[in-house]
Amino acid sequence: MANLTQQLLGVTFQSPVLLASGTCGYGEEYASLIPLDEIGGLVTKAVSLEPRPGNPPHRVAETPGGMINAIGLQNVGLDRFRGEKLPWLRENLRSARVLINVVGHSAEDYEAVVSGLDSDEGFLGYEINVSCPNVKDGTLFGTDQQALAALVSGLRALTDRPLVVKLTPNVPDIGVYARICEEAGADGLSAINTFPGMLIDVEARRPVIGNVSGGVSGPAILPMGVYLTWRAAAAVSIPVIGIGGIRSGSDALQYILAGASLVQVGTALFVDPSAPVQVQAGIAEYMKRHDVARLADLVGALTIPGRE
Amino acid sequence: MTAPVRVWARVLETRKASGDTFWIEVDCPSIAEQARPGQFVMLGTGLSDVAAPLLPRPFSIGAREADGRLGFLLRVFGAGTQRLSAVVPGDDLLVLGPLGRPFTLSPDRPIVCLAGGVGLAPFLFVGAEAKRDARDVRIVYGERTADRVFDPELIRRITGVEPDLRTEDGSLGRRGLVIDDLDLDDRPQLLACGPDPMLRACADLARRHDLPLQVSVEEHMGCGVGTCQGCVVLSSEGEWIKSCTEGPVFDARELAWRT
Ligand SMILES: Cc1cc2nc3c(=O)[nH]c(=O)nc-3n(C[C@H](O)[C@H](O)[C@H](O)COP(=O)(O)OP(=O)(O)OC[C@H]3O[C@@H](n4cnc5c(N)ncnc54)[C@H](O)[C@@H]3O)c2cc1C
Ligand SMILES: Cc1cc2nc3c(=O)[nH]c(=O)nc-3n(C[C@H](O)[C@H](O)[C@H](O)COP(=O)(O)O)c2cc1C
Ligand code: FES
Repeated sequence: MANLTQQLLGVTFQSPVLLASGTCGYGEEYASLIPLDEIGGLVTKAVSLEPRPGNPPHRVAETPGGMINAIGLQNVGLDRFRGEKLPWLRENLRSARVLINVVGHSAEDYEAVVSGLDSDEGFLGYEINVSCPNVKDGTLFGTDQQALAALVSGLRALTDRPLVVKLTPNVPDIGVYARICEEAGADGLSAINTFPGMLIDVEARRPVIGNVSGGVSGPAILPMGVYLTWRAAAAVSIPVIGIGGIRSGSDALQYILAGASLVQVGTALFVDPSAPVQVQAGIAEYMKRHDVARLADLVGALTIPGRE
Repeated sequence: MTAPVRVWARVLETRKASGDTFWIEVDCPSIAEQARPGQFVMLGTGLSDVAAPLLPRPFSIGAREADGRLGFLLRVFGAGTQRLSAVVPGDDLLVLGPLGRPFTLSPDRPIVCLAGGVGLAPFLFVGAEAKRDARDVRIVYGERTADRVFDPELIRRITGVEPDLRTEDGSLGRRGLVIDDLDLDDRPQLLACGPDPMLRACADLARRHDLPLQVSVEEHMGCGVGTCQGCVVLSSEGEWIKSCTEGPVFDARELAWRT
């Protein structure tokens, strides 16, 4: 088997394949279906200071090549996460890395979650979600340059753990936002969260999704994700985690060649929980076939004809 | 609690059971041995079937045989069920299950299953298990019209129960709804599955007669295993609860009945 390890965020990832936030719960739900400790890691469902009730149904629906969701960040909140969810991750994930996805209404909310968790054990670092399209103000921090800079530097002052910022695709130039995060002290970036979208039930003349609009994910967004990962990676020297529509090794390799050091698999898990293992096997097979010894050699190894 | 598995299952038999309904049997021992009546599976065609709708779809387990077979009653609604209805023996389906909370059968009351349309599916399994345990079980099954009725002979074969059939237009069986003219003198336990208005009417009936009622609800699903929070219904406490793990079977009193 090819060597799939990657060194970044101060540690070794045994594989570049992680599970995306919101699609793997808190890990435990997939314990009988995914060999969690044999993949690169997982990112938890968003954790907010207070529990959130979430949006009315329908919360999910299918669209060609993808799905739309408006969960509304329903989660158990910081206290129950620490008491009920984190202990399971601590006990069961020894080799896989855990990032905790953090959301808040205000900078103080984000700071309270990070300070509340920081001395606990069982996770590597944070993925700061400034990019949820399904709640009011969900992308506020992700689209306001000053607010983003202040948020990231505020969090940087609170923790020595890896701080990854999850970017929204809904900005004219993602490179600008990527650089802001890097300058404010982020250790890495995740690109991307979902795209806002809407579906209408024409018979009923009503929106399909209870929240009216939602976030689009799945294979349909892969080219946008690859493009935005490429743009973000070109703008910074910190590592980028590529996300969006990945369901095979070759999908993941598109992100890696575009500059991603790690990837996350989300919607594909719903189609087949073995997706992350298939993605890993696909990357390994490619490395063998192309005689690549280290995965790092593929990161950003895209050649553009005429621009070599 | 059962631990769901993910497995490719060979399609053994398919048959058209009415105009738009199919009975599909797959070879799936690892799920069959754990399955309990009221539980469901997610059925799909996997990651490489790029022409098919992406997400798997939830289906109640309709039958479980000692030889490891699972049976599903599938009614065509849209693209997903259309694709699944087109499988033929020898095809493989990706199955995730068994999922969700099963029916809890009362030890002492007779069981009355109220089935609206394809809501019949879980009661084929309930009926067969209850019959095997020599329980008093009745299946009241309603459809709008005769051409939609799932082959009564197949119901008898799967469950050993003679269904009490109703159609809204009276074209087959008794004319009327599943809640009409029920004999409830023996104070049965009610189980219901069907469209929302029917479930509301059942909840109302159970309240009026002070009878225990469990309902199996339907909501759009993403994962089926409790991770995505996509499948919520409103609890009587006003909270959104996941129908894939806390349901799909609920005590009617656990839910807020919206009108
Ligand atoms: C627990 C459970 C058990 C079920 N058991 C059966 C069964 O035994 N036999 C059977 O024929 N059907 C059953 N259904 C309903 C079946 O899952 C839907 O008919 C099917 O998902 C519709 O998909 P579609 O692509 O054909 O329809 P479309 O309307 O094109 O689907 C569009 C989207 O809506 C969702 N959707 C639409 N209707 C439903 C629905 N009623 N329930 C859930 N999601 C829906 C689909 O998953 C998809 O995401 C069950 C549903 C649930 C939740
Ligand atoms: C049901 C669902 C819930 C999600 N919840 C979150 C979340 O809580 N926090 C977050 O940062 N991203 C969330 N996402 C976005 C995913 O992590 C990911 O960025 C996106 O789905 C694109 O990847 P995919 O195409 O592989 O799914 C969610 C996505 C889905 C489908
Ligand atoms: S379908 Fe994903 S939580 Fe129920």
